[in-house]
Amino acid sequence: MMWSWIPGNGSQIWQLTQENIYLGVVPALYGLVLSLPLGILAARWRWFYPPVLTVTNILYAVPSLALFIALIPSLGLTNTNVVVALTVYSVCVILPNVVAGLRSVPDDVRQAATAMGYRPLRRLITVELPLALPVIIGGLRVGVVSGISLASVGQLIGVSSLGYLFVDGEQRDFPTEIYVGLFLVIALALACDLILVAIRRAVTPWMGERKRSAVPARSAAGEGAAPESTLEAVPQ
Amino acid sequence: MITFERVTKRYPDGTVAVHALDLDVPAGQTMVLVGPSGCGKTTSLRMINRLIEPSEGRILLDGQDVRDQDPARLRRGIGYVIQQAGLFPHRTVQDNIATVPVLVGTGRSSARARAREMLALVGLDQELATRYPHQLSGGQQQRVGVARALAADPPVLLMDEPFSAVDPLVRSSLQDELIALQAQLHKTIVLVTHDIEEAIKVGDRIALFHPHGTIAQVGSPERLLGAPADSYVANFVGFDRGIRRLSFVAAGGLRLDSGPVLDAATTVEQARTGAQGQQWLLVTTEGRPAGWVPAERLAALPADLPLSQVPAEGFGHSFTVGTESLRVALDAAVLSPAGLAIGVDGDGRVLGLASFDDLRAAITAASRQEMASREPEPTALGQDEAVPQEEAVPKEVVSQEDSQPTSSAGAAP
Repeated sequence: MMWSWIPGNGSQIWQLTQENIYLGVVPALYGLVLSLPLGILAARWRWFYPPVLTVTNILYAVPSLALFIALIPSLGLTNTNVVVALTVYSVCVILPNVVAGLRSVPDDVRQAATAMGYRPLRRLITVELPLALPVIIGGLRVGVVSGISLASVGQLIGVSSLGYLFVDGEQRDFPTEIYVGLFLVIALALACDLILVAIRRAVTPWMGERKRSAVPARSAAGEGAAPESTLEAVPQ
Repeated sequence: MITFERVTKRYPDGTVAVHALDLDVPAGQTMVLVGPSGCGKTTSLRMINRLIEPSEGRILLDGQDVRDQDPARLRRGIGYVIQQAGLFPHRTVQDNIATVPVLVGTGRSSARARAREMLALVGLDQELATRYPHQLSGGQQQRVGVARALAADPPVLLMDEPFSAVDPLVRSSLQDELIALQAQLHKTIVLVTHDIEEAIKVGDRIALFHPHGTIAQVGSPERLLGAPADSYVANFVGFDRGIRRLSFVAAGGLRLDSGPVLDAATTVEQARTGAQGQQWLLVTTEGRPAGWVPAERLAALPADLPLSQVPAEGFGHSFTVGTESLRVALDAAVLSPAGLAIGVDGDGRVLGLASFDDLRAAITAASRQEMASREPEPTALGQDEAVPQEEAVPKEVVSQEDSQPTSSAGAAP
């Protein structure tokens, strides 16, 4: 470990970190935007969900490098290539959470909303989506964390990120660079995760600290279950 | 006024939930739909606000077929309360209550002001306004549910098993509050329950369902208890319906005896003469009953000991003359060690004592009176009966009648 290398290359490391943040966060947000309408349709029409899930699972199984390469003919060796590929993965992670979140809305709440005189669209926007939010944000967390880690693979097709430190460190047989890259990727992922947890707390003040009532308890369970299990299968 | 006209609900699998239902729910009254599970009572309720659509027949709300109206608009004019309250977990109590006012376009601040009024109406503290539902007890949640249903002041209120998820003590007080609220608001209420006690307690009229979507009998609670249409109804209302029917007879006609009622300051010696040869003495503090003392216990005690120092037996409970029923008086007598029911005034001061003989006389008189006033039996299933005038009297009035003349009937101590 050569500590003096770090200050000497500070500006380059900072540049790579910013690129990695961009590649980790932006595709997850695109994924969220795509997952919401798909998830809403899948929650509404049950028959629609199994085929969608099959497609996303197959896409999720494609190794990231293979997907980057497959996109080269149409998108070239560009940032867009990596953003598109990572968006595909984030849809695979976030979509099931949108569906699970909407399904976790208790029937009596949905029924009460209907009986109060909500029309379906307003009920969806003002009752169901807010209640699904904790589970959806749970999916977003996994999407962002896996995006940050997958972004470095983009380095192999020349798209700059913290992955540069791995490739360069390996070529120059200079472990310090690899360790720094590894540390930053993990730190970035943790930081983004904590920010999302903070956001979730801020937008769901109704959940409180305790998980006593039926609704938060159910959402909390959903939040943990679906995404964490898929995390192990992150394609590298 | 809600009218069911030959309403049938048949599901695609052939199940018939409700069969050719005819039912009138008079405006301003509480109609309870009661029956075993699967009898179609909840289905019937939900057809009123179109959560479920009937297969045949029609439902009229103030003469207008509910199916001619836009469902969302229709529902905003009908309050709805369900078992677990169904509150929105992500909204504060006040925003939950303000739901329908906001839906119909009331500004948020005036909707919230309205919500706070409703909180007071259902007996909840203003400071709960900004809490979230999970921070409330079950009973409080249910009150918020009622407040939310009433916030836009709908003329009709539908309640689907509203109190069955709370414990018996809370349930009983929620029922009392519903009765008090209804006396004040005069909504047209349709309440579904499987609990016949609840039906008898809160209903002005009861529609008792057979297991498969037809009605066995419609009538006032008194009628179901006093003149069940068939053995099914008699079984459903329970074996002690004779005693429960006394709930609807005011204790006003009950004669009160003066009996030995002595203040706690009375000495044992004075009490020996004041006992009037009775076996039990009622000791009072400031006119309110404190306990029963057996006369024989006095013999062994010092003459100047005040009665307050003499060990006494509990009196169970008393009954309020003029407002409470013969059932309460009878129960008070049964629980009393002396076999005497203590009649008290509104302030809890003893007015007199009622013996079993007095109770029997009052019960006999009440039955005779009822026999004389009873109109012809309703036909077959009781579905076509017109609303008899006397039954249209709102609930709370029943027990309050002739309160004044009777309190003087007994000799006050």
